[in-house]
Amino acid sequence: MPDEKDYPVEGFISASQEIDVNAIMASIRVRIEEKKKSGILRQADIEEIADMELLPLPDFLEVPNVYLPHLYPGQAGDEFHPVHIPPEIEAGAIKKIMASFRKLLSPLSRFMLRPFFLEQRNLFLGLHNQNREDIHKLKQYVPVIAQSKEYIKLMHNALNNMIVEASKLKIEEEMLKTRVKLLEDRLEFLENRERAIEKKVFGA
Amino acid sequence: MEIHQFLTSYSYGDAIGNEAMEIRDFLRGQGYVSEIFALFYHPRYAGQIVNYLEYNRFSSPGHIAIFHFSIGSPVTKKFLRIPDKKVIIYHNITPHTFFLDFHRILAKDCFKGRIELKSFVDKVDLALGDSVYNEQELKETGFKKTGVLPLVMDFDKFSAPILPVFKELFQDGKTNILYVGRIIPNKKVEDVIRVFYLYQKYFNPHSRLLICGEYRGFERYFAALQDLTAALKIKNLHFTGHIPNEELVSYFKLADLYLHMSEHEGFCAPIPESFYLDIPVIAFNAGAVAETMNNGGILVNRKDFISIAALMDRVLTDPGLKTRLLATQKKALQKYLKEKTGQILLDYLHEL
Repeated sequence: MPDEKDYPVEGFISASQEIDVNAIMASIRVRIEEKKKSGILRQADIEEIADMELLPLPDFLEVPNVYLPHLYPGQAGDEFHPVHIPPEIEAGAIKKIMASFRKLLSPLSRFMLRPFFLEQRNLFLGLHNQNREDIHKLKQYVPVIAQSKEYIKLMHNALNNMIVEASKLKIEEEMLKTRVKLLEDRLEFLENRERAIEKKVFGA
Repeated sequence: MEIHQFLTSYSYGDAIGNEAMEIRDFLRGQGYVSEIFALFYHPRYAGQIVNYLEYNRFSSPGHIAIFHFSIGSPVTKKFLRIPDKKVIIYHNITPHTFFLDFHRILAKDCFKGRIELKSFVDKVDLALGDSVYNEQELKETGFKKTGVLPLVMDFDKFSAPILPVFKELFQDGKTNILYVGRIIPNKKVEDVIRVFYLYQKYFNPHSRLLICGEYRGFERYFAALQDLTAALKIKNLHFTGHIPNEELVSYFKLADLYLHMSEHEGFCAPIPESFYLDIPVIAFNAGAVAETMNNGGILVNRKDFISIAALMDRVLTDPGLKTRLLATQKKALQKYLKEKTGQILLDYLHEL
């Protein structure tokens, strides 16, 4: 006899008093054990069937545009702002004091540093002019860079959307496959039905 | 006095819709003016069902309005605002968790439905459940005046004969196992398929599984079932989809055994219908199923698939057991007689 623990009688089935539940359970146990002993039925197969999980297709709503919040956190409030270049520093009171102090000392310093001063002055003036030109050029590029940055964002967004749409299309394809399978089944059923009708009508 | 009914949706073949139609006909037969008001309804019933927003024309404090409640919807708001005497018939709301993986919108509506149920507590004159299980839930929610109204069953529809073509197709010596109900996650159709697979493989290769029910709206669940069927390589499994009544009757009459593995039921109409047609029933004990079985058929308390398959084989191969089982089912069926249910409803309404 099989082990009681494998198929406990208590609690598996309930029925009216007219039905002998214990006798049914005993016969069920015997049938299952017979099949197991003959090698037709394996416990591993039973467990595999019980453990098989349904794998639903993902929902369209489960394919969110995950990239958008990172691109534009807070949506409209975090849209692109052009780069702000601060205006040149205004001269203050200290500059005036320093200028008057330098003015007092300028004859001495000119005498002491004239050659070097001229050299340095020309150098710095040259560099200064160069820098101004560079800054002017860079200022011209700012809108272009800003625009490019926006394009990159849009491109990333477009790519993300394409991935989302491709995922949705894949889901839809799977759904359509199911429908085709269903239609095949229905068609087969209708063909059988048609044959049965022909048989009935024409007595073939 | 007029007695009208409210529904969220009406579709043919739907148990709640059928009950509403049966109640309407019964009440009309008793001389009452009675209409059905719904939010959604199948176009074929356009002449018989009225849009719920038109109820103002019918409303009166002297009338009674019955709401078949089973899901959250805007009908609740309308129903709560009318001056009529109010009755709800609670058909239970499927726990939203069953739908999370398959239908988010329905999961939301079911979740909302449980909240809406609480809003009825002090606003309805009577709350009826179609089973003791449902009535218990109403009491737990806080309804003071409650009762049980067994689902109005019309067994006359089963007087139709088997369609000749169906005889030709399905009466071919194979054992027909039947499941009837919507293809939705809480019905656990996958478990019906699993049990049938083991039954077909180890006990009776000459068997067929007939799954009769609507799957529209649950295509993702249906697709998963199709995948499972393909993985198990099951033969002779037939999904019928939504079928007219005469075809459903044929499927019932061709069935050798009715198998139900649902994990949530507020009533389960196919069980008494199978009792009526002398089809042995094996059903999983969940929700109101034990109560609906009423000591008829065999109730399975644990999902041990191979044992259930062996049990099916035993029922189908032991004529003595089958006879005894059918006798218990006939006895259990007595409580679902149409006249009795109609009278219970009228008795409740007269007390208002």
